[in-house]
Amino acid sequence: MNIHLLLAGVADIRYPLHAIAVADVDRLEETGHTRRILSPYDESALELALKLRDSEPDLRLVVHLLSGPNDERLLQTVAAHKPDHLEALALLPCAPWDACLTACQLASALQAELDDHSLLLVGREFGDLDGGNLPAALAVQMGLPLLSRVQYLRWDSDGRCWSLRERGTQEEWTLVETPCLVSVSNDKRSKLRHPLMKNVMLARKASYASRRVQISRAAGLQLGSLQIPAERQRGDHCTLLTGDVSQQVESLRACLVGSGADVP
Amino acid sequence: MKSNDLTVIAVAPNRWQVSALEDVLAAAQRVGGSAQARFGCLLLGHPEPERERLALEAGACTVWTLDPGEADAEDYEMWAAVALAALESSQLWSTPRRVVLLPPGAAGEELCARIAAGNGSVAAGRCEDIRVLDGQLQFDREGWGGRLSLSLITAANDLCACLRADKPSYPGRRMEARLMPLEHEPAPRPQRQIEYRETSEKLPPIESVKTLVCGGRGVNEAGFALLERLAEALDGSLAGSLPAVDAGMVPAYRQVGVSGKFVRPDVYFAVGVSGTPQHLAGISADTRIVALNSDPEAPIFRVADVGVVNDWETILPALLEALGPG
Repeated sequence: MNIHLLLAGVADIRYPLHAIAVADVDRLEETGHTRRILSPYDESALELALKLRDSEPDLRLVVHLLSGPNDERLLQTVAAHKPDHLEALALLPCAPWDACLTACQLASALQAELDDHSLLLVGREFGDLDGGNLPAALAVQMGLPLLSRVQYLRWDSDGRCWSLRERGTQEEWTLVETPCLVSVSNDKRSKLRHPLMKNVMLARKASYASRRVQISRAAGLQLGSLQIPAERQRGDHCTLLTGDVSQQVESLRACLVGSGADVP
Repeated sequence: MKSNDLTVIAVAPNRWQVSALEDVLAAAQRVGGSAQARFGCLLLGHPEPERERLALEAGACTVWTLDPGEADAEDYEMWAAVALAALESSQLWSTPRRVVLLPPGAAGEELCARIAAGNGSVAAGRCEDIRVLDGQLQFDREGWGGRLSLSLITAANDLCACLRADKPSYPGRRMEARLMPLEHEPAPRPQRQIEYRETSEKLPPIESVKTLVCGGRGVNEAGFALLERLAEALDGSLAGSLPAVDAGMVPAYRQVGVSGKFVRPDVYFAVGVSGTPQHLAGISADTRIVALNSDPEAPIFRVADVGVVNDWETILPALLEALGPG
């Protein structure tokens, strides 16, 4: 089996957002100190790919990272986990707000690389501007079955791969039949490991391949404007419960029960 | 924009929670209201008279029903195929522009992408507002962790979207409203090999309760154990913010927020939740927020109705005791 992993990266929410402006109807301009990191979904997808390879060393892991601001640093982050191949995919035009166009471009880049034994992994959201559509749009575009919001992947003793998704009071384990696209959700079982320091150092010295993918689409989505979202209006103000702990607890109990919560 | 230029169709599978139908009806009312367009509702699955009544009472001009037979709630490929078959029916289209709305959340977003790919419409996905300006469909989508909102425009006539609105209103059935069954025989599809195992999960889904207790980054494993007991004591359920899910405190299907679920409980008890815009986007504006946080400057206090500035380690055990044995 080959695993192809698609990563997009997101702006680090721990820092102020860099400058972003609409440069044209099909282009955003990002300037300043951009801090792009792997998203929780990217990290989970990478960790699951690594876990599968840990138990199946012959498995080949190929990572395709969406090109964008801060490329070099993000490529180094991924490279420290020692994929068998890593490349940056430069989509032209790059319109991550348009799932249909992005799916067409990614399908064009990947179609020739996947065979009947390939598993394509992607986080359940692709970058900062995906409206939740990319994995399904890509599956349709590539004609692949989709296992969505998968939390975990593992091999069984017969060498078959199973995917886990929790559904209420049940765990749903689905046999993964290749070729297949798996969209990965975040989960405690897929926290990204820390790479070895020697691999981090090696990654900093390496150079990385980049591939251009040029496809345009006639009736897509055009950029209008960018705004800071309006704060959602709720009640006038917050009533703070005062007093000592017992008074706060009693007020809180009355508030929770009085607000509609039921104590059976 | 004239009222006869745009058709809005709310689509919901009957196998999904009834809250999904309510969410999409609220969205249809909002889009229909702002564009002065009427809306219809497409219900997929075994007939559910109560859901048909809800759609009619919400003001749908037509409620179409289509029963594909046995179907798994999460077989999105099948639901998309059935929805596409219904949407191809000329009875649903009589205007130059069409907006198909799916329930907000990951499941609706997947269905949205599949329907858009199937009929060539534009997939708006998760969005905040949909309108017609200068003869073009426009919508807003928040990005970069909810820090900027992007307006997007399309010259296309068909849009598929998941719009988060608040609770629907039920003004009553229109005089001309009708119920119209459609027919479609779904093509057989290959079956997947699936095994189910029971878990120790006891609490109900987060979309279906009146009281939702939510833990955030500020709560550890011991704290989540207390929150679970509290949720049980209040006959509610337990949710988590994205950092809590990331930390493995709660499973992803209990996540509230932009990337998680949209919830509309009567009371939302947020414990150790800072109150980021992307988390708050998952809570209905009608919901009463009660916040417990040790940081008096936490943004959650700007939107909460009631707040307690204290440690959860101090308050939660005492609160459980005050609520009595559970």
